[in-house]
Amino acid sequence: MSRVRGFTARQTFTALAIVLVVVLVALLVYLYFFLRDGGIPQPKPTSSPGVESVWELYGPGEGDLPRFDGPMGVVVSEDGRVYVTDSGNNRICVFDTQGRFQSTFGSFGIAKPSQGATVTYEPGSLNYPVGLDLDDDGNVYVASFYNDSIEVFDAEGTPLRRFPDPATVVGRGGSGYGGTGIAVTDVAVHGDRVYATDAYQVVIFTREGEFVDQWGKPGRGEGDLDHPNGIAVSRDGETIYVSDTNHGRVTAFTTAGDVLWQVGTIPEGMDDRTAGDLQLPRGLAVDSDGSLLVTDAFSFEIIRISAEGEVLNRYGVRGVEPGQWNFANDVSVFRSFALVADKGNGRVQMVRLGR
Amino acid sequence: MAVSLLSSSVVARACTTTGRRTHLIVSMQRGLIVAVLCVAVLSIAVPAHAYDEVGGTGGPCVGCHGGSVNSPSGPHGGYTATSKKCATCHSAHKAPAGGIVLLPAATVLATCQTCHDGTSGQGVYGVIKARTGVDPADPAESGAAHRMLDREVDPITAIPGGDSAGGGARTAAFSGTAGGLTCSDCHSPHGSNVVAAFTGDRARSTTDTAGLDSPSNFYSTRLLRQRPTSTDAAYASVTEYGSDWCAACHAGRLSWHELYNHPVEAATTYTGPGSAFTYESVARLTGAGASTTTLGSLGRNNFGYVMPDPRTAEQSGHEPICQQCHEDARDVGDVTLRTVDATEVFKITDVDGLPSDPVVNSDNPRFQVFPHESENDAFLIETDNDLCLNCHKQPAG
Ligand code: HEC
Ligand code: HEC
Ligand code: HEC
Ligand code: HEC
Ligand code: HEC
Ligand code: HEC
Repeated sequence: MSRVRGFTARQTFTALAIVLVVVLVALLVYLYFFLRDGGIPQPKPTSSPGVESVWELYGPGEGDLPRFDGPMGVVVSEDGRVYVTDSGNNRICVFDTQGRFQSTFGSFGIAKPSQGATVTYEPGSLNYPVGLDLDDDGNVYVASFYNDSIEVFDAEGTPLRRFPDPATVVGRGGSGYGGTGIAVTDVAVHGDRVYATDAYQVVIFTREGEFVDQWGKPGRGEGDLDHPNGIAVSRDGETIYVSDTNHGRVTAFTTAGDVLWQVGTIPEGMDDRTAGDLQLPRGLAVDSDGSLLVTDAFSFEIIRISAEGEVLNRYGVRGVEPGQWNFANDVSVFRSFALVADKGNGRVQMVRLGR
Repeated sequence: MAVSLLSSSVVARACTTTGRRTHLIVSMQRGLIVAVLCVAVLSIAVPAHAYDEVGGTGGPCVGCHGGSVNSPSGPHGGYTATSKKCATCHSAHKAPAGGIVLLPAATVLATCQTCHDGTSGQGVYGVIKARTGVDPADPAESGAAHRMLDREVDPITAIPGGDSAGGGARTAAFSGTAGGLTCSDCHSPHGSNVVAAFTGDRARSTTDTAGLDSPSNFYSTRLLRQRPTSTDAAYASVTEYGSDWCAACHAGRLSWHELYNHPVEAATTYTGPGSAFTYESVARLTGAGASTTTLGSLGRNNFGYVMPDPRTAEQSGHEPICQQCHEDARDVGDVTLRTVDATEVFKITDVDGLPSDPVVNSDNPRFQVFPHESENDAFLIETDNDLCLNCHKQPAG
């Protein structure tokens, strides 16, 4: 009984040891991936081209407003805090990367009332928040569209400041109501610089909100802009990518506003039968390999463009299932994952995109 | 979704526990099990709802319908231009031979709202709330709206004053979700069969070299259909914007119905001299404080909202059009006091954030949005007596 038939005790032990080692190695490998991904569950395959899905969130799931109302912006911090602009509800919702609700901050307040109405703005008020970004200290910069300014919070949601002053002309002028402030749709922060999109231009501030520069103008020429709705900065801070939304293109600029390249062509009108690389590009994000992810609301795809301006891949189809989008508006990158503000489906998704 | 969240939170709890290693492994196993369960459940679970049409590339439609959408492109030149964009609203599948089908109704609203939430074109719905805090589309709050609800339950299908016979409401079948009202009921996305251009109050966002304040920037069709959906049977189609256009849906609001008794001018019912007033041709004051009138557009200033008493030659035999009472809220002045003048508070000529830099134009204003929403009840330009006094003297005593 002490011997398994045909094997010595030693052989049995060796076999067991090998099995154990294999199990241990497997566990270590699993542990490695588990920790690397911050405990994010294994992505599930979907029928959506190039997209594996991790989770979908339709809102905080608690409180007076448990559901999102057209979420338009998403950004994740290095330490895994997911910030979502819940545009219709005028607030920012915070989750962890496992999709667990943490908190909300910001509330509705009017900085530029129409005649007869009153200013209800107080620090931290939002009015149709759209795009957002983080600085190196984890502070949150929110494009507060109808208040014509950027609202800044610390990582916990305490209001810090706002700029530009919505009642003052910015630089040579902006598109805020009455010509003051900027009709800001998206922001990108890099080092001490904050880049913001206004209706026909990019406006640059310091993190403290001092006006630095502005470039871009309406028109159909190279580098001209028409309602840009997305902006991102390359890792080295040297390239500014802008979604030239109504022109159906993405343009890469130097920090001084000189054009490096552009992808997509301006539609020529109803008779234009060309397919076009991009339909309605909106939110942008730079991936860890330096490539650019573009949220295309009308082609219902996330599109990957290389840092040199070559279309590399397209992900997803229109739909309501995991990994599909419906008028998605923004994208953000966390490690090997992407977060997508899936506006039309009223949700935020964490997915993994192929290369 | 609930299931996958559960699994992720089980896994996640491991990371936040202090006695890391053992907990981690235990929870990882639990996580694995739950994950397996979750995949199993998800794969059996029927998807809540899915589009029956996902559009494909839409390539074929251009081939067949290329010619039929060769209409003036207008400010939308771009967004319906490419094959893929056709598929945003149309599908090539399940189409009757040579026909085109629209995707689920919600598509049109979502497409328009992607830009007309203000971020890529003029803001339409929601802009009043952004400036006043009051949401006119909320029945509990003041103001008026042609609501676009985009929902299966209780869609907007009743037209107040839509019944041409009795003047009461009429039930209509619109093109939005569950037959509710949507953008394409009044606008033609393709700009086909639209009314004649007219001079609106608001300038269009433009890069026109003529400049923002140039009259041409106020002059357009607004892509208004000649036959709004659910047009009253009495109307062939309406080629000019004005009372007849509104009455296509609100036929019961034409003059002298039992339920409503202010006379209204409309070509359909007009019997007086000359032709009936339209939006582009009403008798308007010739200047500030004047008591003479000339035929011209109602748009761009307040001169057309006042009818001097006694009435002028151009006005005699005429009655006001809908838009002389229903338009963006404003402060017109008083006919008896003749206080109408160019400097009067008039929110709309507070032009469009005139460019402070010649190259940086603006697409404002973003909160005067008749007939989508209004700060005033029933879309009235002024409230109470203020309205009546634009054209009638205060009764003596
Ligand atoms: C924003 C949504 C939308 C997009 C994008 C769109 N359509 Fe349409 N289309 C409609 C609607 C709504 C109708 C219903 C027609 C109407 O009543 O105006 C329509 C009608 C049509 C018709 C019938 C004739 C007419 O003009 O009324 C044709 C043909 C057509 N579309 C072709 C196209 C083609 C080709 C494209 C791409 C170039 C396209 N559509 C893009 C919404 C859209
Ligand atoms: C790609 C963005 C985009 C989409 C999608 C879009 N629009 Fe527009 N629209 C614009 C822009 C830009 C203008 C020019 C004026 C402005 O800035 O609002 C405009 C102008 C208009 C005008 C004024 C036209 C005129 O002649 O003055 C109407 C009406 C209109 N849109 C209706 C619609 C409707 C209805 C839909 C959905 C079927 C729609 N739009 C979808 C961008 C868009
Ligand atoms: C396509 C059909 C249609 C057209 C065209 C139309 N309406 Fe309406 N109207 C409706 C419907 C449907 C409602 C009910 C809306 C609701 O319940 O939100 C309505 C409601 C109204 C109301 C009551 C709003 C309130 O909140 O009390 C007024 C006033 C009105 N319309 C005026 C007009 C005027 C003026 C025009 C022309 C500029 C016009 N309508 C054109 C369909 C139409
Ligand atoms: C009940 C009819 C009706 C419906 C429904 C409707 N509109 Fe309009 N819309 C109009 C009329 C009438 C005008 C022109 C008003 C004027 O210039 O006085 C107009 C003007 C516009 C303009 C031009 C604004 C300007 O200042 O020139 C835009 C943009 C627009 N509509 C977009 C939309 C969108 C987007 C939707 C759906 C979300 C929509 N409309 C639904 C009737 C309608
Ligand atoms: C002399 C001014 C005047 C004119 C002209 C006028 N209206 Fe009105 N309308 C009013 C007033 C005042 C109200 C609010 C009181 C009421 O409901 O009768 C109103 C209410 C309405 C309502 C809301 C009815 C309800 O049951 O909620 C509709 C719809 C309407 N009007 C449509 C029209 C249309 C369409 C025209 C043109 C054919 C028109 N009106 C012309 C003054 C006017
Ligand atoms: C835009 C001008 C205008 C406005 C505003 C207006 N009316 Fe009138 N009203 C007229 C005209 C024009 C007539 C036709 C007879 C005339 O010329 O006096 C008329 C006729 C009338 C009549 C019938 C009198 C008759 O002898 O035929 C009454 C009653 C009336 N209005 C009441 C009102 C009331 C109440 C209001 C406010 C809710 C109002 N009106 C707002 C222009 C206006």
